[in-house]
Order: sequence, then C-alpha cells, then structure tokens
Amino acid sequence: MRTLLYNGRILDPSQDLDLVGSVVIDDDQLDYVGPNLPEVDADEVYDCTGLWITPGLVDPHVHLREPGQEYKETIVTGTQAAAAGGYTTVCCMPNTNPPLDNPALVDFILDRAASPEAGGVFVAPVGALTRGMSEEQLTDLAALKKAGIVAASDEGRPIQSAAVMTRAMEFCVQLNLPVMAHCQDASLAAGGSMNDGAMSAMLGLKGIPRSAEEIVVMRNCILSLHTGCQVHVMRVSTWGAVELVRQAKYLGAPVTCDVAPHHFALTEEMVGDFDTNFKSDPPLRTQLDVDLILQALNDGTIDCISSDHSPHASHEVHAPFAEAPMGHAGLESTVGATLTYLYHTKVLTPLQTIEKLSTAPARILRLEAGTLRPGETPVAQVTILNPDLEWTFDVGRTFSKGKNSPFQGMAFKGKAVATFCGGEIYRDARFDDGRIRQVG
Amino acid sequence: MSRHLLGIRHLEPEQIEHLLAMAKEFKKRVSTGKPVPSLQGHVLGMLFFENSTRTRVSFEQAAAYLNLRTANFAAQASSMAKGETLKDTVLTLRFERLDGLVMRHKESGAPTLAARYFGGPVVNAGDGQHEHPTQALADALTILERKGTLEGLVVAIVGDVDHSRVARSNAWLLSKMGAEVRFVGPRTLLPSHTGMLPGQVFHDLASGIADADVVMCLRLQKERMDGGIIGSIGEYAKLYQINRDTVRLAKKDCLVMHPGPLNRGIELDDVAADSELSAISAQVENGIFVRMAALAWVFEGVTPARRVEQPAPKAKEKAKK
Repeated sequence: MRTLLYNGRILDPSQDLDLVGSVVIDDDQLDYVGPNLPEVDADEVYDCTGLWITPGLVDPHVHLREPGQEYKETIVTGTQAAAAGGYTTVCCMPNTNPPLDNPALVDFILDRAASPEAGGVFVAPVGALTRGMSEEQLTDLAALKKAGIVAASDEGRPIQSAAVMTRAMEFCVQLNLPVMAHCQDASLAAGGSMNDGAMSAMLGLKGIPRSAEEIVVMRNCILSLHTGCQVHVMRVSTWGAVELVRQAKYLGAPVTCDVAPHHFALTEEMVGDFDTNFKSDPPLRTQLDVDLILQALNDGTIDCISSDHSPHASHEVHAPFAEAPMGHAGLESTVGATLTYLYHTKVLTPLQTIEKLSTAPARILRLEAGTLRPGETPVAQVTILNPDLEWTFDVGRTFSKGKNSPFQGMAFKGKAVATFCGGEIYRDARFDDGRIRQVG
Repeated sequence: MSRHLLGIRHLEPEQIEHLLAMAKEFKKRVSTGKPVPSLQGHVLGMLFFENSTRTRVSFEQAAAYLNLRTANFAAQASSMAKGETLKDTVLTLRFERLDGLVMRHKESGAPTLAARYFGGPVVNAGDGQHEHPTQALADALTILERKGTLEGLVVAIVGDVDHSRVARSNAWLLSKMGAEVRFVGPRTLLPSHTGMLPGQVFHDLASGIADADVVMCLRLQKERMDGGIIGSIGEYAKLYQINRDTVRLAKKDCLVMHPGPLNRGIELDDVAADSELSAISAQVENGIFVRMAALAWVFEGVTPARRVEQPAPKAKEKAKK
C-alpha cells in the first residue's frame, strides 16, 4: 500500500523545510518527502493543496488516567482523542492510581496503548520521581527507564523538599532522564482554586498566588544549574515563571518549558460566575501574563506547547468551584487553539508553530519523532493540518471521556484533519471531501 | 426564568431600592398589625449546609409572616453526608415539589450552582466568603432608618474583610447606592487585590474611620491566628478595636454596626456595642423584614407547585457561559 500526499505545504522544522511538495508513505514507512514528482505509483492519492503536511505532533503532557481513574479517561479513549487531535505521540503523566512508580505499570500502559482498540499513537510514559508520589523515597529510576519511561516527574504532587528534588535530579543526570517538573509551593497554594487576584477577591475564593509557582520554578532552575540535570518546567502560567526560565537558560542551565493553550489564550476574568470549566492548575492568570507568554513563545523562551490534557467526569465538574477538580480535556482543542491564537495572530510562523507542537517536545524528551526525515522515526508519523478551516469546538463531539473544556463553543481557525502513525489512524470527514482518490 | 437573590453584585440600584422599600413597608405593616401579602401554597426549602442560628431563625420568621411553609433540611443528616453531590440534592428537592430554596453553604458560589439546576427561586443565605445579600439589605435598612439616606455616607468596614461575605455584600450595596466604602484592617485580613471590589483600603484605623458616618465591625474568627494571619487577638484589638476612645475618631453621630455574633472585647468593647451609637439590635430585627422582601420579590409571579411540570433545564447549556 502506497499513499501519496500530494501538493501540500511541507513543514518540517527538524530540517528547516518549508516547501510545497509531496510525501509518499510506503506501507508504514516514509518513502519520500520533497518537491512534487511528475509520476508516482500510489494506491491512494490525497490532494493536500492548501494544507500543511507536518511531522506527527507530540504532546509532552497528557493524563490518560489509567490505571485507577478509568471513569475520567482510559488509554483507549485518550489515545483516540490524541489521534483526532493530530498527535502521534503523547507523554502520559504518572499520577495515576496507583502512580506510575514501578516497571510493571509501565509495561501495562505500553500494552494497553498497543492494543488494537487504542488510537494507534505512541504513548511515552513519564515515571514517578517518588514511590507512591510520597515525595520521600525515590523510585527505581533505572528500572523504570529500562521499562520505557522517557522522563520522570512529580506531576500532581510537586516535591516540596529541595533536598529530595536534588537527589532525584542527581539520579536523573546519571540516567540521562529529563525531569518534568510541576512547580508549585504547597503552602502558598493550599486551599486555592483560582488565580490570587482581583477576581478571586471579588468571588470570595481563596487564590493561588503567582509566587507559589515562581518560587518552585526558581528552585528547580537553580537545582538544574547545579546538578546539570535536564529540567522541563511544565505549563508555565505567569510572566515571572517565564522570566525565571529565561534567566536559567541565560545562565546555561539545561532548562526548557512548555505552555498550555488555556494559559496563552484565556484569563482569570473568564471564571465569570463560578464557571468550573475555567478552573485550571495552575490557574488562569491575567492579560499581562498572556501578553508576556506570547512574547516568550515568539522568542523561543517557551520551547513547546502541551495540551495538559486533564479529563474529568461531568459530575466532578458540576460542583461548587472550590470542590471541582482542576484542568481541562485538551487533546482535541490544542491544535485549534494554537493555530487560532498563535499562528493566525502572527505570534508564530508556520515553522515555529510546528516546532512547538512536534519537533521541540520530541527533541526535549529524546523521542524518535518530530521529523519527516525518512528512517528517523520507527514508522511514518505525519499530521495533516488545514490551517484555514473554520470550525466550532464542541466537547460533545470529542473522543475523550473528559467533557471539561474552557474552549467549549469557541470558534477556531485551523484543525488537524488527518493523522498517520504507520498507517492512517484518523481522518476528519471535512478532509475527505473530494481530496482522496484511488489510483489505478 | 426564575428570579434569584444570589448576591448584591448582580443587582441594579433600582432593584436594591425596591427591595428596601418593600422591607420598609413590611416592617410598618407587621408593626401595626396590618396584613402583608400571602405566599400561601408555596413551600420553601431551608438548606443550611453550614451552621447558622440567627440567619435561619430570621428566614423562618420572614416566611411565617408571609404564610410560607418551610421544609427544613439538616445537612448533617442528609444525603449530602451520604456522598450525594450538591447538584443531585438540588435536583431531588426540585422533584420533592419545593417551590423555592434558601441556601447557606461553606463554598463560595454554591447557591449559583443550585440556581442553575433547581428551576425555582434561590435565595443566598451566605455562601463561603462570597456574599450574604440579605445581611447587607438589613444593614442598609438600618442605616436608612437612622441616617435617612445612603448616598454620600462614608462607611468604614473594619476587620476581616478578606474572609467576609458580609463585607462584600455591604460594599456592593453601599457603593451602588452612592456611599463611599472603606476597608480597614491589617494587610493579611484585607483582600490582596481589591481592583474588582468597590472599596478603598486603609491599614490604619484612625485614618480609615476618620469622618465615617458608619463604622461596621466584622467578626474576627479566632482560628485566623493559626495560619499566622494575625499575631494575636490582643494585638488585633489594640490596633482595630472600636471602643470608647477609637469611636471618637469617626463622626460624632456615627453608627456602630456589627453583623454578629459579637466577640465582645475584641472587635468592640461594651461601651461601643451598647451605646446609643450602636445599631446592632436594629440590624437583627430588620433582618426579618428584608428577608420578607427578598422572599416576596423572588416569588413574584411564581405559581405554587407548577414549576415541576416545566421542562428540566438543559444542564449542559447552563454549565457553560
């Protein structure tokens, strides 16, 4: 089976490629990427005129909730959502129940991800830094790495002790494992449910101050500088956190960071009258934060974009604000939000956009992904985006079990319309329309 | 669409005026033995998820004057204790054919959530640190009786504004009616950002209550000391107590108010609490009449027990913006 993706705009940041041309997928491998060819022998031809052909997208931060919280999401539904969102690789966070702190659980996740019902994308597990996420005893990181984790993290339960974090980083340096850091001081954030600001004061909700995030970003940057451990700061939300990462990079610390769409597109005012769809961790901040995050995306201080996909059950979300869980199902809205708020606003060029959605996260986590160079990925990983498709995001029509989204009902411009990981794993009906034809 | 009283923040000045005029009229009628409108046939659910004696009794009294039957709902003994969600509890009460709800909850915004699903009027009897609209109405009626107007008055709200729903509702009401609102207290007891609250911040008592027409003291919860929010009760009292000496810093004829329950010797001393300047007992009594007004207002145009036949609200649409 040979598939020809014909006459699309090929964007591959890994080789600085931006040209109109063709991609040929032979069975599950990339066979050709380059200018349009006069004649190609193919079984299926997709007319990609006006579309972007990019390396399969990579999401460095998703919660698949399995094992333990299958009512929120499963590996099957989560990977289906990933495929529909344009992703061919997702990194799943370790705060499951039990947490991902031993090799058997890594095997379990990889097995489930490879099952035929699953979405067909690669799942790259991120292991827990401490046993049971207790913040005390370190996990057997070498065994976890051997089982297949791509990074280690304290997601969901940020390590408060600088001493424990230092030792964790020492091990990770030795094992060449990136640390993905959830940066929040528990004492400052305790009981908080939205940004500590004018809005929380008005609503009578306890706030999470920006200092809660920035103090731990700074600590982790300092520890990275001194241990040499590669630290990836997950989903920054304040301008101060961005500036601290900028400083750490300037000092030569191996620090990177990502941002989630709700933190570059939305602000605290959107909580309105206690709308729990806008309850995030870290919380939605202010326009000033958004403005400086956009700048940092443009100048490269923010390396990549994560969905921070955090699905929850509806009954948990329809609760008093302080009791509702934080986070949003994001796998199927992130590309739309990114193209709408970053590409069409000219914050990012097309190549920068794909760099942040694919090549950069793959590079940071050392994944065989994020490129269209034939032979550099285990199978062909290709995403087709329609950058100009205008559509309305509707959580009611998503694959994810999580229906908690701050983007519900929003108009987006730009969408992932087809995803190939090996073979074709997802195709939007709107992409199909007149674009596919059988040859021969 | 049902009418609710979820907070003063959502009201127009004309609506506040209307509620206060109704309360005044009810007070006159009840005091002179004249009839008041009857809401007979309606059943009012009293949902107090947080302990309250004063507000609950006041609502019971208001309902009794209006011929409203009340159904009490003890949160500890309820299905909430068995793990039912607030949304399901509210939906259950809707189909128990209750016509309206009075609700107190420890979480800010809980009555807003209830109003989304109940389908009948909901009156907020205090939610977390958000709002306590009927207390603000009672305070406003009290000030009106003693000062004749709210417009142009200087009102200092002294104490734990950050944790106070009474302070927020009062600030909204008084500022909407043209008064100047001041928040007075130590930095740790005032909201750290007041950009969206209508009040000026003062950390010094003397300048905060200088020329004040009304000084409203707030209750200081003793547990505030635990998190290091204040050093000690003694230090607080030394800096912010309204007493024989400090009351002189306000206008000569200033009103001294307190939403209760009082910590005598902390926020107020006996001299200030019991002098002719004090309006504390009037606040309590007026609570009944403003709650009558609130209930009569939200039930305007509601036919008893017809609600249940209306289609259920579409949860999904209402849950989002």
